[in-house]
Amino acid sequence: MAATPAIKPFDFPDMFKEAGAAAIVVFALAFAMVGFRTEPVPGGLGITLRFADVAMASVIAFAGRIALILLREGRPFPVLLTTLPFAVILGALLLADQALASENGSGFEPVLPFSSPVVNWMIVIVAAVFAGRAAWAVRHARSTVTAEEREATMDRIGARVQQVARYAGPLLIGFALVLPFLPIADRRLLDIAILVVTYIMLGWGLNIVVGLAGLLDLGYVAFYAVGAYSYALLAQYFDMGFWVCLPFAGIMAAFAGILLGFPVLGLRGDYLAIVTLGFGEMVRIILLNWYKFTKGPDGISGIPRPSFFGLPFTRYPAEGTVSFHGFFGLTYTPLDRIIFLYYLILALALATNVFTLRIRKLPVGRAWEALREDETACRALGINPRNTKLTAFSIGAMFAGFGGSFFATRQGFISPESFTFIESAVILAIVVLGGMGSQIGVVLAAILLIGMPEFFRELHQFRMLAFGAAMVLIMVWRPAGLLAHREPTLRLSATKRLAKAVP
Amino acid sequence: MSAEADIAASGKPLLTVEHLTMRFGGLVAIDDVSFQAADERITSIIGPNGAGKTTVFNCLTGFYKPDVGRLVLHHPNGDFLLERMEGFLIARNASIARTFQNIRLFPRMTVLENLIVAQHNVLMRASAFTLGGLLGSARYRDAEEEAVDLARYWLDRMGLTDQADWEAGNLPYGDQRRLEIARAMCTKPVLLCLDEPAAGLNLRESAELNELLVFIRDEHRIGLLLVEHDMSVVMGISDHIVVLDYGRKISDGTPDFVRNDPAVIRAYLGEEEDGEEGYG
Repeated sequence: MAATPAIKPFDFPDMFKEAGAAAIVVFALAFAMVGFRTEPVPGGLGITLRFADVAMASVIAFAGRIALILLREGRPFPVLLTTLPFAVILGALLLADQALASENGSGFEPVLPFSSPVVNWMIVIVAAVFAGRAAWAVRHARSTVTAEEREATMDRIGARVQQVARYAGPLLIGFALVLPFLPIADRRLLDIAILVVTYIMLGWGLNIVVGLAGLLDLGYVAFYAVGAYSYALLAQYFDMGFWVCLPFAGIMAAFAGILLGFPVLGLRGDYLAIVTLGFGEMVRIILLNWYKFTKGPDGISGIPRPSFFGLPFTRYPAEGTVSFHGFFGLTYTPLDRIIFLYYLILALALATNVFTLRIRKLPVGRAWEALREDETACRALGINPRNTKLTAFSIGAMFAGFGGSFFATRQGFISPESFTFIESAVILAIVVLGGMGSQIGVVLAAILLIGMPEFFRELHQFRMLAFGAAMVLIMVWRPAGLLAHREPTLRLSATKRLAKAVP
Repeated sequence: MSAEADIAASGKPLLTVEHLTMRFGGLVAIDDVSFQAADERITSIIGPNGAGKTTVFNCLTGFYKPDVGRLVLHHPNGDFLLERMEGFLIARNASIARTFQNIRLFPRMTVLENLIVAQHNVLMRASAFTLGGLLGSARYRDAEEEAVDLARYWLDRMGLTDQADWEAGNLPYGDQRRLEIARAMCTKPVLLCLDEPAAGLNLRESAELNELLVFIRDEHRIGLLLVEHDMSVVMGISDHIVVLDYGRKISDGTPDFVRNDPAVIRAYLGEEEDGEEGYG
């Protein structure tokens, strides 16, 4: 915007006025919300006063506002000089504090700005972002990036990542395959890995509906629930095993997808989102209230564990059967079953991925994408929008059903509590954050959103906060998602090169 | 009006519209309009803004359901009663293709993909409704190659071969117009309906458009139905013109007949001022 690179006359009082106003707003907000904290004390609730934190928040708001103004006015140098050391020193202090605290119970607490390590880390991150922006501005003699430039850069990055993914993908899969046998693999890591891969699979499944067909589905977890309950109930009432139930669970979920799809076909965008959200809740409430059939809030327990082609993973197999370790002459470890579950979900997830990659290049996949782009044009070309949407819905639901039956067999116990709206939101967030339609983006987003919070369990209460912040940032910065880059399903140049090579 | 007989003589009828009436609430957008469009001829519907031209189009292509009237397409496979068919079936079974006044491409898909999507139904059958395609059947691979060949033919004809792998939304405006026509032609229609194809084109581009439409008529031997404001297009290439005003048909005949029809001059062309008609 600023055509003149020369430094404009600068109004210092004005800057302090603006920063002061920001600090006052923060103070007013923080005074009540941060300053008084209710805590359970013997005999009721007590109030802890945290005015030091309030003061610190105001100071940081003041300083941060000044940094913002300086960046805006094209003076990034002082910002870089202050924020970079600040971020580095505070980060180092926090690391040292953690190390000390784990050793002798107390660290540098008095010097740190806030008592909560999470808030401290957030300040480090914000300072680092400021430093990065300032460094960028120093290099390019400009402090702002236009939206188009950012889009173009991000699309290049997305394309680059997809290119790399073509070679890195097999490597990643190889890593995933050997993971259980690496020395770092313990029970906790494998459990987290199973969880992450489950969400990757669900993300890939939802990607068909949201990413390819462009149907915003906020009730995806309903199909997950249908799959889980299909398996649990079939096992309970008919004593069927996991491998028999797996296709059934998928079919039932796909059927549920068609059932939901029919009445809502005419709806687009936001309306569809609301209806699917309602459907998700309906399924959960039915499961909760149909006590005779589903045992309602008590859930279903004793769901049979999967077997390795008929060989159960038990230490002492029942009379007349052979267990997995017995058959292969191994010593029994409880990890066997975890590793098996891990491979099971990995195989399911990879099947989902291969299926998606293939169907994208088939007419139905292209029709999904065309439908996302322009439904009216599709109709003018003789594409049946109803059937096309239904296939997307039911195929997406089918994968959720597979995932659900895996979930049931892994947990051994399911109840409606596992299928709340927040699960749908998390899966959708994975798809949106990763970049709609981007398979590798889903993987990264699932690791980011599921893996990280699991590793940093301590941050649990801030998890949703960080989640929301990340979503807002994505919406502002890059509504299409981080790694959104669409690779054409076929190219003329590739086929033409072949034709030219002939003579 | 008597010229209708001439039209019927000049080619076999492809589309018969009888007593078409369409109301939106109290507004009568089309009032008892009847006309015929012949096979292998270019028929244009003209009229001032709000005359109901696009509404006729939307009734023909199934986007609106007419209140009264009969729309018959005389397809080689038999007659289709369009007013009873769903929109996508009109395109699929009766083989009527259309373009839109405000271009409707699939902007984030490539130019080539746009042309392949147009051949959806052929490819769908060849892929045995996805199953064969998933298993990599040879039949589907051949069908896809054929589809690419058809797409390449139209890309060459439109001069878009070098841009085949571009996102359609990144094409210049004139190219987008031509791509939309190519996409419609990839459905192998018997009747191509074009809703203001010359809108926004410069003189050179609209001359090229004339050439293209004549090419489609003469080489692909299908009927064309045109809604157009640009008189250089309408008068230059039409074999037959239908004039609407306030939803009523006021004239119907060859370009020469219509040009000299007093009803048209009075209602449409204004006070003998040639060239004024192109506004809006």
